[in-house]
Formats: sequence, C-alpha cells, structure tokens
Amino acid sequence: MDAKNRSVLVVFVCCSIFCFIGCTDNEYIDTTLGLTVQQLDGDLDDRWSTTGVVIKNASNQSGLKEGELISHVIGERKINTPSDFNRAIESAMRDGNSFTLEFIDSSQKQLRQRFSVRREGDDVGISVDDNNRIKKIKSGTLANNAGLKEGDQVLSIIDAKNIRTIKDYQKAVNEFSRAKATISFRTKELIGVKIAAINALASIADASAVETMIRFLEDTEPSLREPAAKGLERLVALSQLNGLFQQFQRKDTDQLPADGLNAELLQRAEILDLLTVDLQTNQAKLTDPIGTEFLHRSAALYKKISSTKITELVKKYIKREIEPNQEIRRSCLSILGILQPQSVIGDLIAVLEDNQETSGIRFKAGLTLSQIGSPAIEPLIASFDNGDSGIRDITASSLGNIGGSKARQALITFLKNENNDTTKLTLVDAIAKIGDDTSILALEEQQGSLDKTSGLATFLNEILTQKSETKRTEAEADSLDFLQDL
Amino acid sequence: MKIIVNAFLWGIIVSSLVFFCSGCTSQNTDLSKGKELIKSDKRRKEERAVEKFKLAVKAIQNNTKDSAEANYLLGLYNSQGFYDADKEPEVYNAASINKRGDHMYQAYKNSPKEYLEILIFETLRSQDTNVQDAARYALKKVYESGNQQKLLKSLKKAITSKDNRDRQDARTVYTTIGKDPRFTQKIVEILIGFLDYKRKETRLNAVKSLGEIGSEIAIGKLVEIINSGSEKREKQRESPEVRRLAVEALGEIGGRAVGELVSIIQNKGSSMRVDAIQALEKLGDERAVTPLLNVLNEQGGRDVIVSY
Repeated sequence: MDAKNRSVLVVFVCCSIFCFIGCTDNEYIDTTLGLTVQQLDGDLDDRWSTTGVVIKNASNQSGLKEGELISHVIGERKINTPSDFNRAIESAMRDGNSFTLEFIDSSQKQLRQRFSVRREGDDVGISVDDNNRIKKIKSGTLANNAGLKEGDQVLSIIDAKNIRTIKDYQKAVNEFSRAKATISFRTKELIGVKIAAINALASIADASAVETMIRFLEDTEPSLREPAAKGLERLVALSQLNGLFQQFQRKDTDQLPADGLNAELLQRAEILDLLTVDLQTNQAKLTDPIGTEFLHRSAALYKKISSTKITELVKKYIKREIEPNQEIRRSCLSILGILQPQSVIGDLIAVLEDNQETSGIRFKAGLTLSQIGSPAIEPLIASFDNGDSGIRDITASSLGNIGGSKARQALITFLKNENNDTTKLTLVDAIAKIGDDTSILALEEQQGSLDKTSGLATFLNEILTQKSETKRTEAEADSLDFLQDL
Repeated sequence: MKIIVNAFLWGIIVSSLVFFCSGCTSQNTDLSKGKELIKSDKRRKEERAVEKFKLAVKAIQNNTKDSAEANYLLGLYNSQGFYDADKEPEVYNAASINKRGDHMYQAYKNSPKEYLEILIFETLRSQDTNVQDAARYALKKVYESGNQQKLLKSLKKAITSKDNRDRQDARTVYTTIGKDPRFTQKIVEILIGFLDYKRKETRLNAVKSLGEIGSEIAIGKLVEIINSGSEKREKQRESPEVRRLAVEALGEIGGRAVGELVSIIQNKGSSMRVDAIQALEKLGDERAVTPLLNVLNEQGGRDVIVSY
C-alpha cells in the first residue's frame, strides 16, 4: 500500500469513527464548539411552540449550561469583499430567516437594518462594489424603502438561523465557522415548565418551597410571579392546618372520628383535597396520597411559615401602586386573611378606601379585615364615618361579618342617620347577619318608620319574616328535644 | 335388506319424534312471563320480572339454555334500587353487584360461548354502571375459573376492535382482572403486547389500563414509549397522545416510577416535562422536591457568544 492509499484509508477510518460517535440518532457531538446537542421531542413544536436542540454536555469555555435550549444560531459575518457579501446574503435569504445588515451611512454613522424574509424568492435587492459600498438598490425589493442609500458601506451581516433539528444546527455552525463568523446562540426558556414546577411545589407543600415562592414573587419575571403568589397562598393555608394534622400524627393514623376534630379546619382541609369527611360514618380520612404524604410535612411547613416574615412581604403587594397584577394583590390579601395580623389594618383600610381599585379587591380587603376581627372594628367605623357610599357599603358588610355588640351598635346608629338607600340596604343586611334580639328589635323599629311600598321596606320585611321563621323552627326543635327528654 | 331399510326408517321416525319433542318443550313459565313483563309497559315491570326470574332460576334444573337465560336476566335486572337499604342485610345483599355477577357467571357456565360474547360486547355497554360492574365481576370469575384462553381471545377482539366502546369496555375488564395480584403479571404482559399494535386507540387503552393496574412491571416499556418522542424517524416516535397517557400511567403506578418521572423532568428536550411534573404533583412524593427546585433554577433565555 503506497503512502497515498494509506492516507486515504486513515481518513476513511477516522471519518467512520467520527460518524459513529458523533451521529447517534438523536445526538450530535460538536467538536468545533465542544458541545453535545440532543434533538428535542418532535411534538414540542405543536405543544409548546418550541423548536431547537438541547445541550446535553457543554465544556466550561463554551459559556453554556447543560439543558439550555438553543433556538437560534446567530452568525455575525464581517464583509470584506463583494463575494463575502453575496455569500452571506445568499445564505441568509435561503433559510428564510431574519438577518440584520450593519452599515455606515454618508454621515459616518454606524447603523443597523433588520430584514425579514417573508417568502422564498424574496430579493434583498442590493449589490455592492469592491469597497462594499452599496452600488444599487433595486425597486420592489426588501431593501427598497428600508432606510439604506446608495453609497452606504456594509460592515457585516448578522444572520439568525432558526434551529429545528440537529441537521439545522450542524449546517449553521459549520457554515459560520467556515466563514470565520462570530457565533452566538440564542437560548429559550420554557416558562410553562417553570409554572408547572411552582404549582407542583405548592401542592407537595414541602417547607423548602416557601423560600422559592417568595423568591419568585419578588422576581421580575411577570409570568412566574402570579403562580408564586398563589403557591405562597396555598402554603400559608396548609400551614394553618398543622393542629389538625398533629391529631392524626399523634394517633399514627389516617382516619379519625370527625366529631372530635375542629369543624372549620376539617372543612378547609377538605377544600384543599387533603381529606374527605364521611358524615354517615363520622370519619375524617386523609386522601391518599396527597393527604397522607402531607401528614409528614405539616409540622415543618408550619414552623417555616411561622418563622418567615410573610406579613411584611405580602403587605407591599396589596397596594395597586406597587403591584399591577390584580391576581397577585388578591392572593396577598388572602394570605393576610389567613394570618390575621393586626399590624396591617391600616394598609387594608387604605386598599378599601382606594377608589381607583377594583370593587372586587376592595371587598376582599373588607373581608380580610373581618377575618382579623374585633381589632378592626374601630378603624372600620372611622372609615364608614368619613367615606363615600362605596366605602360605606364595604365597611358596613365587614362590620356585619365581625359582629358583636360594638359593631352592632355602630351599624344601628349608622342606619338611623343614613340617607342613601343602597347603603341602607347594606346596613340592614349587615345588622340581620348579626341577628341577635337587639339587632332584630332595631330592624323592627326601622320598619315602622318606612314607607311600605319602598324597596327597603320590602327587603326588611323579607328579612324579618325569615328571621321569625328561623326562630319558630328553632323553638319547635327545642320543645321537641324537651319532650323527648321527658 | 328389508330389515336394514326398516331399521333405517324406524330410526328416522324415532329421531324425528325426539327432535320434535325437544323442540316443543315450552320455556319455563316464569322465565317467559318475566321476559314478557320486561317488554311490556307495565308499572314496576322490572321489579316484578325479577321475582319471576328468581322463581325460574330455582325451578329450572336441567335445561341449560333456559337456566342460562334466567340467570343472565336476573343478573341484569336485579337492581339494588328495588331494595330498601334499611331492611335486613340479607335482602339488601340479594341484589349486590357480586350477587348479580354470580348470576351472570352462572349464565356463562350454562352456555359459555354465547354468554362470553354477550357479557363482553353487550352487557358492558349498559348505561347502568352497576350492570357493568356485575359483568366485570362475572368476567373476572370466568378468568379465575381457568377458562382464560377464550376470554382473552374475546377481550383481544374487543380491545383491537374498530369500535371505541368495545375497546374501552375491554380495557376496564383487563384492569379489573389485572388488579388482582394473582393475575397482574400475565395481564400486564398481554397489555404490553398491545403497545406495538397498529391501531393507536388500542395502544391508548392498553397504556391507560397499565396505569389503572398500577404495577411496576410496566415501567420499563412505558418509559421506552415516552422517550421515543426524540427518535429521528417519525415512524419510530409514538404519538404524543399515547406518550402523554404513559406519563400519567407512571404517575398512577408511583413507587419506583417516581424516579422515572424525575428523569423526564431532567430531560430538557422532552415534550413531557410538564406532564411529568403534574404527575409528581398528584403523587405528592418528597423525592420530587429537589428536582422541582432545580427546574426553577434553570437558566433563563439569553444570547451567548461562543468561541471556537
């Protein structure tokens, strides 16, 4: 075998080995850039509008990380000769991508012009001379009316190639490296995956998820902030069930008699799918696997939530001026409603009184105040006194929700002095909600002073009839109990 | 010669008589009355028919065809709704799903070929879920009794059928039988066999049943299907629908499948990452926490200049 044949054989063997290693079905080892890239699943495009290749292995000097998804390979080709220009333009036009032309205009200003190739056969319409100056711009082409002028000097062409397959990647990198272009990769993030991960962490409710939710709530990526706020809301709600879960934990069981447990906590746990209550058998049973898995995490989550300054954090985000996303404001109000800190009463009153805020959020602030309870009564009364009819509606129903003699007395006084019919209706409703004897008496007094045909009179009449019926049924039940006892 | 002819003629006469007599044997009165009642538009017809079928089942001793029919109809119509739950448990239990299934199984025993087809292709189509459950119970009993081959043949016919309802009904039977630990291995192997079947809907039902059975034996094949999404040749890729269900199935299996779901999350080129995350969410398994936190730490989109 002569030397020439031997070298041909060596080249052949090397090429075969290279193909064998570098070209597995869905992977490609890029020796030029020191990367291994992997084909994406074929349906990612349909499901998530995503194409590209994913980095399986990356050398340190590449500056890329494993798992990054390359959606574009961008080559910046310096233009030194007219043939450089023609080759670069031909390649950029051929693949139907967008490209940018960098040039110097007559005033020596360096500018950029972006072109999008709309369909095959589009013509950029530029030819250059030996100094890379634009010789002619054809009419009816992409360059026409694009801000370029004859005489402008072309410096470079930045060609962003859309990557769909490993083959696209190979082609782009090979071409750009041959042309000694500067190569950069555009990577894409699948936000949907991160949103799903936030939701899953909130459901699994491990204590470590608390910090993560806070981090993303404080982050700038808007599409992740909302799920993070909702996730934090769920974690706070779950942490408050610790007392209930400790009862299961102590007895080392997943089933307990329902009547021995706090009814309100049971209801909340049922809404959160952690357990089911069977009234017939009087059994509360943890759901499998979510409830039984949470049983082991409940104490740690409670500890984490208690030791984190959540109130301080979320009270920022209930303000419209700070938080533009209504859903985040709503979640933060819910969190405050669960934690019931007295320190935020002033902030909540401010939201309630903000007439630029949506009525849903203002009512939510009112509801949060009623969850805080009696410490909110005085501020609510003051707010009613100074507020317009919108504010009065919210404060009156909040006071009705809180109840107690102080709130009742305030509502009765308001009702006597109020002139606005809509507010009167809310006040009547709020007093009826408290529903004790004094409240009913006050409503009856009010009924006497009304025009019988007015809407308020009808409403009041309905409420009082309903109340007396309830009272009668209760009395009947009592006497029945009494007879049975006898 | 004459004797032979005579004997032949007598033979014909006797056999005709026997045939005539057997043909003329009238059906059990209670059974036919019950059937008439069902067809009628009388009040409480089904409840009254059931009483007739009960009598017929008791009375018929040898006539296997009638016995099969009476038992089948009793299983089909003896609804729990006729009985007051407050009454004696025995009365209530008389209409339990298992009892109804027992009657259906009895029908099969008396006339196997006919009732195997009826149970799979008719009874399972009933609107009444209790009737469906009873049929599944009966079919499982058929399997338990050792007559597996014919049952599996009919089930195969159903799950590979063009008819959507047949395929789904067959799936529920595979699941019912496969959930019994004694039969899991075999049923899972059969279902895995269907994962290469040409009809996509058959594969869909097989994957769904594997999830419902929840056996770890299926994990390997399910993972293979899920990962086929990145195959270069489209022919070798399983359809996204089947792959999605395979991820869900891993979620239902749980246990060792959690590790595989985590691997899917870690494969950044997989189109099933969100599905895998959702499956882990439903499982609530602690092993998912760190991989999920890692997902959130993944690099966001950017432009990077590379040197070469």
